[in-house]
Amino acid sequence: MNNIETAIKVQDLTKRYLNILAVDHVSFEVYRGAFFGFLGPNGAGKTTTINMLTGVTKATSGTASILGYDLAKEPVKAKTHIGVVPDTQSVYDEMTAWKNTIFSAKLHGVPNDKRESRAEELLRTVGLFDRRNDRVSTFSRGMKKRLMVAVALVHEPDILFLDEPTTGLDVQSARQVRGLMRELNKSGTTIFLTTHYLEEADLCCQLIAIIAEGKILIEDTPEKLKISSQAEQVVEVSFDHASDAADKLKHLNNVRDVVSAGDKFRLYVEDPSEVLPLVFDFAKENNLKVVSINTLKPTLEDAFVKLTGMRPEIMSIEKEQTKLNRG
Amino acid sequence: MSKAWVEDLERAVYIAEKDVRIYFLKGPNLIFGLLLPVSLFLAFSIGRTVDLAFAVPGLVAIASFFGAGAIQAIALPLERRTGTFNTLLTAPISLFAIVLGKALAGFFYGAILSLAYTAIMLPFSPLPNLPLFFVGILVSSFLFSAFGLFLSAPFRDIPEAMPPATVVRIALVFLCGVFIPLASAPTFLQAVAYLLPLTYSVDALRQAMGGPINVEMFLFNLGVQLLFSVLLLVAATKVLERSIK
Repeated sequence: MNNIETAIKVQDLTKRYLNILAVDHVSFEVYRGAFFGFLGPNGAGKTTTINMLTGVTKATSGTASILGYDLAKEPVKAKTHIGVVPDTQSVYDEMTAWKNTIFSAKLHGVPNDKRESRAEELLRTVGLFDRRNDRVSTFSRGMKKRLMVAVALVHEPDILFLDEPTTGLDVQSARQVRGLMRELNKSGTTIFLTTHYLEEADLCCQLIAIIAEGKILIEDTPEKLKISSQAEQVVEVSFDHASDAADKLKHLNNVRDVVSAGDKFRLYVEDPSEVLPLVFDFAKENNLKVVSINTLKPTLEDAFVKLTGMRPEIMSIEKEQTKLNRG
Repeated sequence: MSKAWVEDLERAVYIAEKDVRIYFLKGPNLIFGLLLPVSLFLAFSIGRTVDLAFAVPGLVAIASFFGAGAIQAIALPLERRTGTFNTLLTAPISLFAIVLGKALAGFFYGAILSLAYTAIMLPFSPLPNLPLFFVGILVSSFLFSAFGLFLSAPFRDIPEAMPPATVVRIALVFLCGVFIPLASAPTFLQAVAYLLPLTYSVDALRQAMGGPINVEMFLFNLGVQLLFSVLLLVAATKVLERSIK
């Protein structure tokens, strides 16, 4: 091993499919014990990058190493240290939860005398021990995802890759998976997470890289990313009744964009002090009562929008659609 | 043998065990493995005088041929479509060992079906040299499993993999002297037949059933089958490797 402090090292990693450049000379490092978030719109290259880092596909050029083991030269040694929760299914529908976990333990070289105790511990952790003898085909999407996490952890990997682990899950299952990721990270596991839920990345990650069109646009801590987007600020306002105010608010001076968020409108502005009086004037002219008005701190979403030019809600819809099409 | 090789082999056996558990009783396997060989056998036998010492080895060989091949036409493409094949790719095991594991599952399936057909046909056929017939079945089943893997390796779904695999297998049944003696075929077809693996399987089984055994010829037939098996496994690995590039 070269440098055990570096869990993942990627240099000029590139993946080309015929004429499409899916990942374009990407470089980054993830330190041991880090919770690293990889964000980007649909088709940005997140899954392709994970696939290259986990041995599912090979890089066209560039290098990647796991705990010092070059994935191209020593793939088996590198893969000994990783666990993977992909965005496709990694467990077998025809087998029970128990058999899936034991199979993964065997495949990853867990000693015979530890397989059952480890499987029991993990299935209890993900809340599936009582359903251990049921076939996976009878499980909900959330249960399958939790089982996939258990299966990926059976050999106690140093690094866990999770590709969109909470997409399509109900609130409770998503919260359980997030809790599990944080617990694992706390106990020393390096986490590499791709997600399009920016709140999730903000909540969990210590370092975030934003990728778009195969290139990393920026890599920084969530707080620094938010600060970097501060050139644009947000005024959030709600009226007593005004479902169609968004289009009108867009025409106010100094308002760059308006987004509806529930019963509120978010006005993207450069200087809130210039816009606030205009909003009150607008309310008066349209016989509206201002219920609340706030200037918001920049969020990770703001940074993301600024960097990628894409709204996360659009990205979520696209992602859900992809999952549905995949069946 | 190095530790890495032993671990690879051990994990290949686990993959085979998993495939046995999942795919042995799948409907298409039963249709292609059980019904197709007997249908072909009956189509060629009914209304004719059949030399059972000639026909039974043919039936046993194609039971192995279709059985071992059927599981490969389903397991690999299905796992590639659902994504579970990636579970194997992300595990610490070489691609060749993954292919070997899958080949072992097909080998067991083909061998079980062939032995079942042997048991059914024994009361009606000449008594073979049982140990050699058994060895012939095992080697043939491994070969046909490797052949099935090679045929399914380029495909990512069952509907893509099944038709070409079936067409190739049925064509081979006619070309390799399963039901019609090769000696009666034109010289050109005989030459083609000896380029195809099924011919050596049928020849070995017929030798084990047909009276005095020419040990050298029997061993030659086994050796050619083993050589084909290795080449086909390596070729299947290369095809899969290309597809993950």
